[in-house]
Amino acid sequence: MAVAPLLFLALWQGVCWRGLYPPFVLPPPGAVARRFAGVVRDGTLWSHTSVTLLEVFGGLLIGLSVALVLGYLLAKSRTLEQLVLPYLVASQALPVVALAPLLVIWFGTGRLSKIVVCALTLFFPVLVNTIVGIRSVERGLRDLMRSLGASRWQMFALLEVPAAMPVLLSGLRIGLTLSVIGAVVGEFVAADRGLGFLVNLARGLFDTPLLFVALFTLMAIALAFHALTSSLERALLGWQRDQ
Amino acid sequence: MRKRLIGPLIALSLVLAACAAPGNAPTASPASGSPTPAPSATAGDLVPVTLAMGYVPNVQFAPLYVAKERGYFAAEGIDVTFDYGWETDLLKLLAAGERQFVIGSGDQVALARANGLPVRYVLNWYRRFPVCVVALGDSGISKPEDLIGRTVGIPVLEGASYIGWRAFLKAVGIEPEKVNLQVVGYTQVASLTEKRVDAAVCYALNEPVQLRTAGHDVRVLYLDQYANLPSNGLITNDRTIEEQPELVRGMVRAFLRGLQDTITDPDGAFAITKQVVPEIGGENEALQRAVLAECVRFWQGEELGKSDPASWRAVVDLLRELNLMDAAVDPESLYTNEFVTP
Repeated sequence: MAVAPLLFLALWQGVCWRGLYPPFVLPPPGAVARRFAGVVRDGTLWSHTSVTLLEVFGGLLIGLSVALVLGYLLAKSRTLEQLVLPYLVASQALPVVALAPLLVIWFGTGRLSKIVVCALTLFFPVLVNTIVGIRSVERGLRDLMRSLGASRWQMFALLEVPAAMPVLLSGLRIGLTLSVIGAVVGEFVAADRGLGFLVNLARGLFDTPLLFVALFTLMAIALAFHALTSSLERALLGWQRDQ
Repeated sequence: MRKRLIGPLIALSLVLAACAAPGNAPTASPASGSPTPAPSATAGDLVPVTLAMGYVPNVQFAPLYVAKERGYFAAEGIDVTFDYGWETDLLKLLAAGERQFVIGSGDQVALARANGLPVRYVLNWYRRFPVCVVALGDSGISKPEDLIGRTVGIPVLEGASYIGWRAFLKAVGIEPEKVNLQVVGYTQVASLTEKRVDAAVCYALNEPVQLRTAGHDVRVLYLDQYANLPSNGLITNDRTIEEQPELVRGMVRAFLRGLQDTITDPDGAFAITKQVVPEIGGENEALQRAVLAECVRFWQGEELGKSDPASWRAVVDLLRELNLMDAAVDPESLYTNEFVTP
């Protein structure tokens, strides 16, 4: 497990030693580590990371809520699906990076516009996974629940949610990663804090080690989210493995 | 199934057909009245050079389009290709030897050189630093002191607009904390008209012209009236200067001829630019012509191309003061007038 990062570091250092790229294109790992220690010590890194995390969680809250509710409704109603889904699919042709400047004008330059960008980025994959998850419930199981006189709520809570859970969780996994991208895209357009802003700032100052620090921090967040969803899967889907 | 596919396929074909309609195709022939290129060398003899610009194809690059179209680069034995991108990325490519020439701002050259990038400014294009503070007529802002306690929008906290803003504050003696600076991205026009900010730091050739053309009464504080900073110009790397000085001299000469032509005949320059960037025509033409007219005011002056040593000393002092430059940099190492002087 630890071999891959070590191999990566060795390769990186090797490329720097051979002088294949100048340090302003590829700084050596040591220079990035020193820059990392510096921005951790003076609090710069946390001040930017905390802002991005706040936007990510805000986006998750809104994006997940809307996508789960709408996804459930679309999964249950073919008419609604035919009415709404084509437009949602068409909206996916709009790259969020092109939409972000408009969102900044509509929702202001503060946190809200970044939260909206985050929510929009993760909305569609979660929506599609919700539809697929709810529809994947076996017909036989539905008939069984009905024959047992299950109420609509019991069908939802005891059959549909547990049966759709694997697909929903994989939607959550994609959504979490995408929400980080969403926050960074929003910060690229207009921000004075956040990891996206830090990337822009480092770029503008020709501070390549700082740019690497910001990128590695984003990677660390993505890895943490991956670990979080894996734990969630183990906790919520343990019953499947026990079968 | 087959029937279901027919509708979407017809729609797709119609979209494709509309895109390929002859009316939308760019015209290859030069506009009537534009001079024909006068290359002095055959295409095989020309040295291929990529000139990168830190923006998208735009009317503001008219002198370069003129120099290419009228054969000034070819006359110097250069086959120029234009490339566009993010200014700091282009400077890195230039420093790494992946590009030979870049159009960029003087302050970026200073920052780049301080970070070990061997780049140097060889031609001063903009005689005035094109950053300004814009406020609407009803804002009550007409002089620098009026900005105290007000909200000012700025696109980003780096680059020419930020450095120009800080130079301006220093020159007029306003403490940065006395102004509520808000990052608004490139939404200055909307931020001003929707009253989200009282004033905004803008590119002098864009937003004020847009606002005026749209009928707004605007107050503009041009930063070059308060601080002397090196603006956009032609940049190359140390290696090209050392190994191919004649190429640099040729690039500078061709650029200056294009610049002089554009200043003398903006209408001819606009016609040529429209061939390169057809989008500046039609409904956009009035605004884009106004942008070019404003550009000319920022380009004209005595001794075209020559850098002012005082502006380079000022930018180094400012960057040191803002803690944006750690290493000591000799201002004289950032530019040269060697190639401009005949």
